[in-house]
Amino acid sequence: MTAVTAVTDHTGGQEPAAAPAEPDAPVAPAGSESDGAEVSGVTEAVAEAAGHADAAAGAETGADADAAEESAWDDGLIARRVMGDGERPAREESFQPRGLTYDAPLRARLDALRELVGLSRTRLDGQTLAEAGRVLDQAAARRGLSERHTVVAVAGATGSGKSTLFNALAGVAISDTGVRRPTTAAPLACSWSDGAAGLLDRLGIPGRLRRRPLQGTDPDPRMAGLVLIDLPDHDSAALEHREHVERMLKLVDAVIWVVDPEKYADAVLHERYLRPLAGHAEVTFVVLNQTDRLPGDSADLVLDDLRRLLDEDGIALGEHGEPGATVLALSALTGDGVGELRDALAQFVAERGAAARRISADLDAAARRLKPVYSAGRRVGLSERAREEFADRLAEAVGAGAAGEAAERAWRRSANKACGTPWLRLWRWYEAQRTGPSAVQAESVPVDEEATARQRVEQAVRIVGDEAVAGLPAPWAQAVRDAAARGGEGLPEALDELAVNAALPARKPPRPGWWPMAVFVQALMTLLQVVGGFWLFGQVVGVAEPNLMAPVLLMLAGIVGGPCVEWACRMAARGPARRYGQEAERSLREAAAACGRQRVLDPVAAELLRYREVREQYVRVLGVVPPMGGRSTATGAFTVGGERREPLVPSGG
Amino acid sequence: MVTLDVRPQLLDALSALRDRVAAARFPLPLPGAPRARVNREELLAQLDDYLVPRLKQPEAPLLVVVGGSTGAGKSTLVNSLVGRQVSEAGVLRPTTRTPVLVCHPDDHHWFAGLRVLPELTRVWVPQGGDEGGRDGAAKAGERALRVETAGTLPRGLALLDAPDIDSLVAENRVLAAELICAADVWVMVTTAARYADAVPWHLLRTAKEYDATLVTVLDRVPHQVVAEVSRQYGALLAKAGLGEVPRFTVPELPESTGNGGLLPATAVAPLRAWLTHRVQDEQARAFALSRTATGLLDSLNSRMPELAGAVAAQHAASVRLTAIVDEAYEREQTRVRGRLQAGAVLAGGALARWRAYPLDCTAGELLDAVVESLGTVLACAVSAADRRIDDGWQREAAAGDLVAREPDGEGADHRVGLCVRRWRRVLEEYVEEELRGLDNPPEAEVVAALLATALLGGRRARSAGEVLAERIGAQAALKLRDRGGRLLSSYVEKALKDERERRLAPLDALDVQPDPQAELIAALSVLQKER
Repeated sequence: MTAVTAVTDHTGGQEPAAAPAEPDAPVAPAGSESDGAEVSGVTEAVAEAAGHADAAAGAETGADADAAEESAWDDGLIARRVMGDGERPAREESFQPRGLTYDAPLRARLDALRELVGLSRTRLDGQTLAEAGRVLDQAAARRGLSERHTVVAVAGATGSGKSTLFNALAGVAISDTGVRRPTTAAPLACSWSDGAAGLLDRLGIPGRLRRRPLQGTDPDPRMAGLVLIDLPDHDSAALEHREHVERMLKLVDAVIWVVDPEKYADAVLHERYLRPLAGHAEVTFVVLNQTDRLPGDSADLVLDDLRRLLDEDGIALGEHGEPGATVLALSALTGDGVGELRDALAQFVAERGAAARRISADLDAAARRLKPVYSAGRRVGLSERAREEFADRLAEAVGAGAAGEAAERAWRRSANKACGTPWLRLWRWYEAQRTGPSAVQAESVPVDEEATARQRVEQAVRIVGDEAVAGLPAPWAQAVRDAAARGGEGLPEALDELAVNAALPARKPPRPGWWPMAVFVQALMTLLQVVGGFWLFGQVVGVAEPNLMAPVLLMLAGIVGGPCVEWACRMAARGPARRYGQEAERSLREAAAACGRQRVLDPVAAELLRYREVREQYVRVLGVVPPMGGRSTATGAFTVGGERREPLVPSGG
Repeated sequence: MVTLDVRPQLLDALSALRDRVAAARFPLPLPGAPRARVNREELLAQLDDYLVPRLKQPEAPLLVVVGGSTGAGKSTLVNSLVGRQVSEAGVLRPTTRTPVLVCHPDDHHWFAGLRVLPELTRVWVPQGGDEGGRDGAAKAGERALRVETAGTLPRGLALLDAPDIDSLVAENRVLAAELICAADVWVMVTTAARYADAVPWHLLRTAKEYDATLVTVLDRVPHQVVAEVSRQYGALLAKAGLGEVPRFTVPELPESTGNGGLLPATAVAPLRAWLTHRVQDEQARAFALSRTATGLLDSLNSRMPELAGAVAAQHAASVRLTAIVDEAYEREQTRVRGRLQAGAVLAGGALARWRAYPLDCTAGELLDAVVESLGTVLACAVSAADRRIDDGWQREAAAGDLVAREPDGEGADHRVGLCVRRWRRVLEEYVEEELRGLDNPPEAEVVAALLATALLGGRRARSAGEVLAERIGAQAALKLRDRGGRLLSSYVEKALKDERERRLAPLDALDVQPDPQAELIAALSVLQKER
């Protein structure tokens, strides 16, 4: 593209030299004069070459433009393009400093769009971004070309009098008019002053179709920057005309739509052209031609009806000094009302803001079209509740709750066992001996088995993914979902490992401080019983002196005290057991949650963050938020190049 | 060749065909569906409004429909042919919104009834009707047809002033197309500024395709360029293969712009003479009628297969969508079966319970955990299948808004949970039944828990089976496991099948069948035999 710009500038620079060589050839169908034609012929050759190079570089020519554009945007090298953009101003400075400069907000928006495209290239397909890429290319291409000129196309239906109006404005019959439909087959250009060659090259209008208006007839110096293009019709049966028109309409700065009393309500015009271009109202003129064919005051009626239709199309009408489309009635044949159009055009051209406004409107349209892929209907992100639910599901999957409960019960059981009376333990042992080895799972479970409930993990990942994407535009939703799914792939195995590790320390439950004491007291109770028993036995035998009361009491205390101690221990063990179970549950649960956060939630959050960043960028493209200066090196290069040329912005814009 | 006699068999075949066409539906938003819908509508309009009434009553007046672009001067032309203002003409576009039919007073009965254009409400304004009457017609809101009578028209001729074919008002376009469908003779009006427009040429090509009796009028030609424009237009027509179409040129006069003006009789005399000749000369009339009718019948040969093709495409799309659902559920079913065998149910919480059983966990808790885990496996399978279906349908254009179903994840969980609990109840009944015969029965709940664990635990729960056999005897245990296993697989299958049916319900409701395709073709071949 840099090469193209260079050639274009070269052509532009040469034209002023060429023009004085043929002062008496105002209407100069190139190659018609002898002497100057040599020079202009050369100019033209260069221009043609530039046009070809343009097309070859795939800037914006015809049907292959899209494909070429795509390749230009799919090369994955942002740096190179930015370099190219940064290079341009420097190169231009060595020639004439007359390229177009956009004002700061527009420039910031373009930068934001460029960054947006770069950020979303991995997520969106080329087709979605093609329009944005086209706008950027367009803006860059227009930026390199003359700011003094405003390219205005005359478009309309066949037989509406486009060529007649074109001639009326130029003051000379440049374009063929006729009754044969369709009349104009190829676009024709007429520039009021020199230096527009680059612009015309970009439009792909060959030199032989470039004309000049009649010199001296136009007293208005404000018209100097006007480049008028006569387009073919958009509604005839000749399909290639329509293609021509559609290609040109994307490139010109402003459009004069010519309608006539017969066709002003055609569906083709309104539905295919005016409605999609409703955002371009500020660079649109709508002209009701052929008012001479209308009797009496019906011209006003028709004009009002036309205004109503335009209003229905969503086109803002520039009435009462508001920005919007200019609507006029005129007769190109009789010249009635052409003066008004000429005034409006002259003012429009003198303002020199059309190109920037056009780019801005293009940007708006591109941004609007991108809305569904960037804008979410609501706040996005994972709520705290969703995160907690995810942790809950994972805990359930590793069986944290059940494991904790089991640990609690096991602890209590062992406490009871330890503090129980020896007789009870003896009986239990005997029972166990009698019924045989009934312990169901005596064999320890193999470690490699899938202890985690796979389905629960899968479900948890799916649900958290769904919640994260709620309200997200489809491409980003897919990315988030993919991130969740990727994270979920190794999650069950990781949880398995974790469950095994977490279960290990639980093998040996800790004992509370009072435990030995309880065992001691229990033993004491048993001792009391034994001592009491011996004492009684001694009395019976007659070794000890007979005193029934003391040993009986002693034994009774032991017999009653044993279960009492057991009961008290059981009560006292309850609290620690619960704590122990909860501790086991909590540790397993936290380990699972950490694992899930690391593998699933963090990638999902990162993806959401990326989306948010893109969305911010998109908002900046919309121009809602006051834009900030170059954020990255890429924009920096572009911005610096532009800012150096800021003084050139016309104050009138 | 269709003779102009009433032929009952042909009419029967036609009305059978019409019913078949009317029965064709294109509910799936395939790329070709809008076209097929329009095609069907148009075909119905042509059959109902033109072909059937015409074949029933060949003696009915010739209906001439004047159609063309907006602002071509159709109304002015009709007014001039009649000799008085019957249809409003004006400079604002589109002018004609309510179509106007003009006929001789004697022919009025043909059009007052609903013989042709039955969907349009008739508004009859008696001769000399004032403006109030017309306003009333416009106010009616629904689609109306104004019937006017004029003695200046020859008997047997009816002129219909149609709205624009390329209007900004979409209903006008549809109405215009419908009116043109009802015509015996198509009069296409174009102008010096428009004769190369794409839209009218599209209509001209359609007329050629149907081989309708066609007349073109080149209106509003500035008198300086009459010869040139006329020649150009003739050349374009010849190039399009319409060279033999009668062509009339009407010069642009101050009156053309409307405001009630009528063109001088001389300007429209040739057209008037041509039309009068069609009516009064028996042979010319028969030729004009039969040409349009035959053309339409011929066009059925290509349009009916197109319609049938669209129906077939609908059915194919429906089969594709169903296949996606079937495949997704098939896959999940296989996966669930594999998981059940591998003992995936006995994992997580259920596994923890099982490890704690019987020391630290009761049988009831174990059973609850196992049953709940089974429910999760199934619910997970259902939502995985749904996701797969969503993905598959997203790629199918035909799915349209079927994809955007309301999320009913909770609902599916609930339904699957119900199914699983039912299974548990039946299992418990089996156990009780089995224990009734034993003389020293263990607790039913214990047996049920062990049985469920053994059924769902795979290898992991081998000991559960052993203990079960120990408690109730090997034979009884084997029997219970057999019955329980069968019960389990039937319930699992049922749960998935129900969900699959639910998913397919909206598609089934559309009732896309393969039969209409064959029926359409059959009706067409019956008609061809009758001709």
